[in-house]
Amino acid sequence: MQEVKDITIRLGAAAGDGIQSAGEILAKLLSRSGTYISTFNGNQSAIRGGHVWFHVHAGTHPVYSMGYGVDYLLPFTQLAYDEHYSLVNKGGIIIYDPSAVTARDLGADISQIKSPFLATALKYDKYPIMKNTVAVAEVAALIGLGFDVVEETITSQFAKKPEIAKKNVEAAKEGYGFGVQAGVRKALKYSDKRLPFLHANYTFSIGAVAAGCRFYAAYPMSPASPIVHWMTAHAKKLGITVFLGEDEISVINATIGAAHAGARAMCATSGGGFALMQEAVGEAAMTETPVVVVNVMRTGPSTGLPTKTSQGDLNMMLGISQDDFPRAIFAPRNAPDAYDIAVRSFDIAERYQMPVMVLLDFQIADGGYMTIDHDFEPVDINRGKLLNSDGTDKELHNGTWFRRYQLTPDNISPRPLPGTPNMMYVAKTDEHDEWGHDLSDVLAGLKESVLMREKMQEKRMKKMEQLKAEMKAPELVGQTRADLTIVSWGSSANPVREAMEVMNSSGLKINALEFSDIYPLNTQAIVPLLKSAERLMIVEANYTSQFGGLLRKEIGIDIKDALLKYNGEPIYPVEVERMVRNIMVKEVESHVH
Amino acid sequence: MSIKAYESDTRPDWCPGCGDFGVLAAVKDALAALNIPPHNVVISSGIGCSSNFPGFIKTYGFHGLHGRPIPVAIGIKDANPNLTVLVTAGDGDEYGIGFNHMIHAARRNDDIKVIVMNNEIYGLTTGQLSPTSRLKQVTKTSPSGSIIYPLNPLAALIGDGATFVARGFSGQPKHLSMLIQEAIKHRGFALVDVLSPCVTWYDIYDEVRKLMYKLEDKGHNPTDFYAAMKAAKEEEKLPLGIFYRDETKPSFQEMLKEQIGDGRWASKSVTPLNSETLRELEYEFS
Repeated sequence: MQEVKDITIRLGAAAGDGIQSAGEILAKLLSRSGTYISTFNGNQSAIRGGHVWFHVHAGTHPVYSMGYGVDYLLPFTQLAYDEHYSLVNKGGIIIYDPSAVTARDLGADISQIKSPFLATALKYDKYPIMKNTVAVAEVAALIGLGFDVVEETITSQFAKKPEIAKKNVEAAKEGYGFGVQAGVRKALKYSDKRLPFLHANYTFSIGAVAAGCRFYAAYPMSPASPIVHWMTAHAKKLGITVFLGEDEISVINATIGAAHAGARAMCATSGGGFALMQEAVGEAAMTETPVVVVNVMRTGPSTGLPTKTSQGDLNMMLGISQDDFPRAIFAPRNAPDAYDIAVRSFDIAERYQMPVMVLLDFQIADGGYMTIDHDFEPVDINRGKLLNSDGTDKELHNGTWFRRYQLTPDNISPRPLPGTPNMMYVAKTDEHDEWGHDLSDVLAGLKESVLMREKMQEKRMKKMEQLKAEMKAPELVGQTRADLTIVSWGSSANPVREAMEVMNSSGLKINALEFSDIYPLNTQAIVPLLKSAERLMIVEANYTSQFGGLLRKEIGIDIKDALLKYNGEPIYPVEVERMVRNIMVKEVESHVH
Repeated sequence: MSIKAYESDTRPDWCPGCGDFGVLAAVKDALAALNIPPHNVVISSGIGCSSNFPGFIKTYGFHGLHGRPIPVAIGIKDANPNLTVLVTAGDGDEYGIGFNHMIHAARRNDDIKVIVMNNEIYGLTTGQLSPTSRLKQVTKTSPSGSIIYPLNPLAALIGDGATFVARGFSGQPKHLSMLIQEAIKHRGFALVDVLSPCVTWYDIYDEVRKLMYKLEDKGHNPTDFYAAMKAAKEEEKLPLGIFYRDETKPSFQEMLKEQIGDGRWASKSVTPLNSETLRELEYEFS
């Protein structure tokens, strides 16, 4: 038996075979044994058939991404075997059922264990679904987990169906026996510490509610749908109002309405839905209504690849809707980050009275769970210039209207809520004066209106200057001085961090700048970090290096070495390493772990 | 409450003789008659002549995007159901670009009151064909006569399951005020279609006056679905009044209150979670 620091396990099957549930059990087994996990769901936009896979990376230290290669492969179909066998590491193991899979000759470096998953499953049930249980239990034995945690996890997984739980435990016992027979190969150091694992859709949802959000609106769209599932599942308990709109246009407009009435309100969708929301993002900025809008990115324009990952929507966020208006853009790097950014998003939206846009993506949201090793902290809520009392201040009143869009030194105006006596105003999508009167019809083009349009546009845009100063600089990970600095944003930080740790332990000197505060960029804090770097490389999941383009535009730094992945699959640490070695030693190294 | 309580400092920019003046007077009259304080009213509107409405009456307002006042209104009502939420917009806004929202608001029985100033023409964009313009009608975009059939919003909404559907005429503000009062008192979604002629592009005052009659004068029973549908499809004459009314269906907001509990409205519960709840939520995934 070899004690290792991390292990990668991959399951492959057809959709409908129960692979998600098997993967979830595997993730739970490891999380309930004190290890850190990071998972990825290679699923398809299909309910039955096709090919789906589930990847678990587990370690004794925090793991962020896919790890290197595959240590244990469980192919339930021939297609799964053929698609994934080449990723199996030296010393790795393929466990397969010969009734479903014909193995190839892969040489002596890879062990291939034959196990009768199907025949064993059919002993306990007339359906084959329990073959997953048999296989997962066998892997548990091979990585040195005790049967008690297997039994506990299976029993809790089927808590509502004790009969099914019992059958599964019996089948698992047999599978575990196969593993014991084969002997423990690679094992992690386990403990009885139980760690939770979540993906960024869930941590963002929890963060939002923690920050006082009780209004959520959505139209289902992959990979954002887990947010609406979580919100509706917790609506009763936490008192969340969920608006299920007829389209994304109604979704964002209802969110704006709820925010106007005083709620902390949010909505989420993916790129296509966001494109429909476009006009209303400008509406939120013009009416100075605080909303949080989440885009969980998937691959491709139009329908694209609904279940695959990408970071291709940054340019849309930067350019969304017509003319210039203020906005904040965040991109959490992973699940723990998403909680903190949810909390900050609502404060910034309310304090600056502007739309906040958040970019998540399939890889860290719907597609990948990650261990959270700390408890979420309760937060303070800062609602900025929200007024709760009657307005008697003459400066803020003209006898009829409240001066909702008052020009102030910090460009942020007092905001009363409907229902408050003597504070009436009309929120305006037309350009307006301080009292909410239209400048667009009978006053348009008159000298006074032209001047007021300038003042109002400046008022809104200047909020960005103040915001800029509180946007965070990227986190510098690794040593301060390095030969190469890798720039990443959002989810691309994870494979970079994993590759960097491996490369630095092999003697290279690399560090990373991980951006999660995307726009406006705090240039004052960022410029010295980028300018002092010896050499820069960027990693992101789109074709044109959209974040590289933003840095070029805002800071004037052009990062030429770029790892750009746009095929829908996650960025692997090994790809980062290959690119780095390519740059550093000027030759392609076919480095296989 | 006196009508003066709703008096704005802003003079409507509508053309002299525009039907919308009558609607403005009727809305003020209805709110005053029901004693609803101005600060408890929010009026959501879209884009077009009639959608300039909110600033012309002293209540809270949201002058939003073209076609989208209904979802904004629903968000407001969901977040604070103590508010009286009205939508005031035109036929382009509500029967064209935003009709999808109307259909679904009616289906959900959202407790908002939609007052459509229907002039059968696009006025502010200088007289083009609207969804309620008639077959053969000559407009800027149908110079040889329209070859598109008009929408029948009343029949569509009654058929869709709307629980309150009425039609008024801006030339009869007292009657219209009664309809709006009934709409506000109604339990859930209400559509008040108002024939509000455009004196500049398509003046139908005389025609309406010639053809109109009041349903209540003919013994119409608004709880009778088929009678309502028949009235909505009438072509010879022009019925006004409450076509359909169903007070048996709870509104979305009533059912929401049942699900999440009274007083837990989104605008009233901007409060943090404690560490115990946070821990519980986190460990659901373990």
